[in-house]
Amino acid sequence: MVDPVYEVLARSALVSLTASLVAAAIGIPLGTWLALARIPGRGFVTAVVNTGMAVPTVVVGLFVALMLWRSGPLGELNLIYTVRGMVIAQVLLATPLITSITMAAVQLLPPELPGHLRSLGANRWQVVVRIWVEAKLPLLAAAMAGFGHAISEVGAATIVGGNIHGQTQVMTTAIVENVGRGEFGAALVYGGVLLALAFLVNGLLSSVQQRSGAWARN
Amino acid sequence: MGAELTVRDVRVARGGRQVLAVDHLDVKASEHLFVLGPNGAGKTTLLRLLSAVDRPDRGDVEVDGVPTRRLGLEERRRIGYVTQRPALLGTTVLRNLELPLRWRGLPRERRRALALAALERLQVAHLAQRPALRLSGGEQQRVNIARSLACDPDLLLLDEPAAGLDPEARAIFFTDLERALADRAVTTVQVTHRPEEALRHADRLVVLVDGAVRQVDTPEMISRMPADAAVATVMGYDNLLTARVTPDGAVLVGEWPTGLHTDDLGPGPAVVAAFANAVRIVPSGRGGLPAVVRGVSPGRGHRVVLLDARLPGERVPLVSHLGVDAPAPAPGEAVCIWFDDALSAVLR
Repeated sequence: MVDPVYEVLARSALVSLTASLVAAAIGIPLGTWLALARIPGRGFVTAVVNTGMAVPTVVVGLFVALMLWRSGPLGELNLIYTVRGMVIAQVLLATPLITSITMAAVQLLPPELPGHLRSLGANRWQVVVRIWVEAKLPLLAAAMAGFGHAISEVGAATIVGGNIHGQTQVMTTAIVENVGRGEFGAALVYGGVLLALAFLVNGLLSSVQQRSGAWARN
Repeated sequence: MGAELTVRDVRVARGGRQVLAVDHLDVKASEHLFVLGPNGAGKTTLLRLLSAVDRPDRGDVEVDGVPTRRLGLEERRRIGYVTQRPALLGTTVLRNLELPLRWRGLPRERRRALALAALERLQVAHLAQRPALRLSGGEQQRVNIARSLACDPDLLLLDEPAAGLDPEARAIFFTDLERALADRAVTTVQVTHRPEEALRHADRLVVLVDGAVRQVDTPEMISRMPADAAVATVMGYDNLLTARVTPDGAVLVGEWPTGLHTDDLGPGPAVVAAFANAVRIVPSGRGGLPAVVRGVSPGRGHRVVLLDARLPGERVPLVSHLGVDAPAPAPGEAVCIWFDDALSAVLR
């Protein structure tokens, strides 16, 4: 049985958008902290985060699958071959990317800005929020990059999700399956739809980004 | 009522090098204190300590008796800090002013009224709806100060607020700033490297050189009696010469008389500090310090005469300002120099 395209599309969008949101919720605060904190070993943590961007998706998939496997340390959670398991894998893929871009974005702001905000009477939380507002354009770029990385990956989705029709099949795994069967027409349809989804989401974020940028230039 | 400040045994080091050492400094409530010093003297470092943004490696900075490291949020909000670079936020001018007031929990109408009043005081109310980052440097600095004033601080710290403005714009800027502060009992500490601004606006002056306080006094006293040659340089003395005080108090440069006399210093080595308009040029052979005219050029309301004082084994460059109507010597001409007592200082 073959899933209708819209169902696979909806599942892809659900998994990748959820993973991107969770990764942003982790990566943006983490990147901000790494950019602002004066702690010993920050260089090492930064190197680890940057290495995370280069880890192959199949390696992340393998790691998550081993964790979630029935006999693995998190086996009791029954997340292997589930959408939630795939979200976990994609969070691990997108978080280093978002963290790293956030860190660079915050470091590009005037270094005196946090102290300046404190001197204006901001508490810690107000300082952080204002820093995010000032860096909103690159932070949107970070979110877009995270989503792009999540929606386009196939290795982790295959290993952790298992490409089960009606349950865990997403656009990328459907393309691989169709190419494997020699059904290039169907694979092209999935590819086109996936491209359209990526374009839609990124177009939306880009328009927000450009509007903010245009305001700042006026 | 403005805040009182006390700095005690403060030390700050950067990269293993001590950049600030202040043993003791008091700032009285509602006083206008200026911190004067050359670039790299530690002025901004001191101001950041006073603002509670940075903490000293050693010692204490107290605001109304409370060390800055123990200041709570509400106490920190009594301090306004105007940085040298305006550091405005990427939103409208009005929102730049309203945001700190929102952080203080003020209702929207009150925020708007205070922000507009502060912009009005600094003559920039017409810019309220403009994107802050698109303003000129001078406009940004006015908005920066208005933002601090809108919060009605008890202590206002200003770090070279007119940096980057041309002389005419600086004069207008300081007049407007003075007017904006006129009816406020706010203590101000202002950093500058321009002695003329400190002399005009300060109640008291701190001269900082190489991270150390060299002199604290009224502008008149520091200008008239700089503590040492470094302070004299900071205060804008144009000429410094190694001299000697004789037992009867006469001040000689080499073996030549200078026209100066001191009863305050005993006999021994000294330094003569003289403003350019203290250097009187007389024809050669009329006594005084022999010199040769190196060049004459027009100045603002005077003529600038560059000279080489001829001392045994060396030539010491000097500068003199002559009135535009006074007869100017020709380049290469041998002349003699006397110093005007009222515009010179003899230092140890």
